[in-house]
Amino acid sequence: MRGLRIALPGGTLFDSACGLLDDAGIASLDPASFDRELSIRHGENVFVKVRPTDVPVYVEMGGCECGIVGKDVLWESSRECYELADLGFGLCRLVLAAPRDSALAAGMWPQSLRVATKYPVSARRFFAARSLNIVVIRLHGSVELAPLTGLADCVLDITATGRTLAANNLVEIAEAGTSTARLIINHAALKTRNDQVGAIAVALRRAAAERLHAGAA
Amino acid sequence: MTGLDALPPGASVRGRADGFTDYLVGPAARRRQLTDRIIETFEAWGYGFMVTPVIEPLDTIAAGVGGAQQSALFRFMDSDGSLLALVGERTVSVARVVATQLHGGPFPLRLCYAGSILRNQALNAGRRRESLQAGCELVGADGLAADAECIALAAAALERGGVEHIQVDVGHADFVPGLLDSAGLDATAREKVLAALARRDLVAVETALEGTDAADAERRLLLAFPTLRGGREILDTAAGGLRGARPQRALQELAQLWDLLEAHAITDRVHLDLGAVRDWDYYTGPTFEVFSVDSGFPLGSGGRYDTLLSRFGTPLPATGFVLHVDRCHDSIERRDVVPAAPVVLRVSWERDAHAGALELTRGLRRKGVACACDLVAGGDGDVHVSAAGARWSHLGNGERGSIDAAVAALVPGAP
Repeated sequence: MRGLRIALPGGTLFDSACGLLDDAGIASLDPASFDRELSIRHGENVFVKVRPTDVPVYVEMGGCECGIVGKDVLWESSRECYELADLGFGLCRLVLAAPRDSALAAGMWPQSLRVATKYPVSARRFFAARSLNIVVIRLHGSVELAPLTGLADCVLDITATGRTLAANNLVEIAEAGTSTARLIINHAALKTRNDQVGAIAVALRRAAAERLHAGAA
Repeated sequence: MTGLDALPPGASVRGRADGFTDYLVGPAARRRQLTDRIIETFEAWGYGFMVTPVIEPLDTIAAGVGGAQQSALFRFMDSDGSLLALVGERTVSVARVVATQLHGGPFPLRLCYAGSILRNQALNAGRRRESLQAGCELVGADGLAADAECIALAAAALERGGVEHIQVDVGHADFVPGLLDSAGLDATAREKVLAALARRDLVAVETALEGTDAADAERRLLLAFPTLRGGREILDTAAGGLRGARPQRALQELAQLWDLLEAHAITDRVHLDLGAVRDWDYYTGPTFEVFSVDSGFPLGSGGRYDTLLSRFGTPLPATGFVLHVDRCHDSIERRDVVPAAPVVLRVSWERDAHAGALELTRGLRRKGVACACDLVAGGDGDVHVSAAGARWSHLGNGERGSIDAAVAALVPGAP
């Protein structure tokens, strides 16, 4: 039987994903080599570098059997994959943030709210529990600019350190979720290639646990 | 100028709606043959072919399937204001027919169908919104022999259709909910775990179990979820330390089912899969999914649904399955080198030989040879009729003779 195709997320998680694959003894990939080609064979497996939001698409449709992707991407995706393991790295939080001098920052929730976000599905789910009249404005980048320009009252965005929020005079109002990298598996591959994907899952889990240990020590 | 800029703004591109497919000559014929082979297999096992409408009242559908499935339907209004929907599956339609027209039996009823199902899925997702499904329902039989028959038939039909490397995963709808009961979880934790499993989010299953005092044996099983697969031996492994009667009974049923599948001689293609994630509201007993390494999607699925018919006022046990014909077709088309198009002879003719040419085509078609007759005189077809009716020549070798001789010469396998 042929090897597996594994989708890796370009962007902030990419180097850590390559590092974990190396620690797990699955493949030693040089992240820089993906600058020259997007698909690299290592042993019997093939690794492809795709946009993070495309990882669940590749995995659901069977283009790849496995993928590594942030939980924040899965919140927005309606793709059906098995989410097999929490890989621990890429920790960040999805938070609601508003300008420091706003009523919202003072703890007063207005009747209606314009929310700029790259996470419209999460935004609707987050606000569904609160009876607020919200307008979701979907942006594709630099969400922090929306309150500064008057485009929106607040933002729902990912933050790892909080520095970008602070630099743009935004303060956190509430946390909507915590995200880490996950291993996802195609439905049929989990059944028809159980041995192969199982071995990958076990190795990645072990490597992730060892990292956690090393970090705690 | 070509390209996107060439279109005036607002110009309509006369295309298909996204998620719908045109099958052109060739693939369309092969897809129909695949469907025919599947249905012929169903009929060879004694399942009677029936047809249900592509539209059902929303109330009828709502009696059968849950909210998530209902929200994915194409819905519209009937002339009296009541709501209609295009069917998103056909088991509910068959259940309606059984409850309203076939409730007198004789049981067990063996029924099969094939038809379009429609789902209003997101645009540009690469998913089909119309697809062809063929299925069987075995109604009024409550024994495991009925479940085994359905599993064996699903595999037989797919193999007859030309799908290779089939693998059937058999699970039990009562195992996981039973496990959660006997693990001593409270209702909230139970719902959390089931919801996470339904989302296939095994990380969330772990998180949900961490905060509970689930008993060790059950927790171990739930965490081992994706690896609870294998032959009959995994049933013994799973049974170790289990106390609850419900999961034990599910395991016993699977053991009996395995023996029946062995009698059907298909256990070389079957895995028991205790971690199978299925719709727990709908299925009540053994469930199964069929896979092939040639496809990233399940090619078929089914199981026992003993409570569905009672929702239509006719409490009857039932089991059945559906095959996703389009996914099977995809996996076959991707695998095979494109087969040569079937041979269609072209019959051409000269001057006053039109009637003779038509007579030749009738003779050829009676013998099962596909042929098309030129509509105007002249041309150089595969077969050329040159004199008044009774003579023909086969281009290339210059043979001449009677139409009977022509038919005899052209029909494959004729003496």
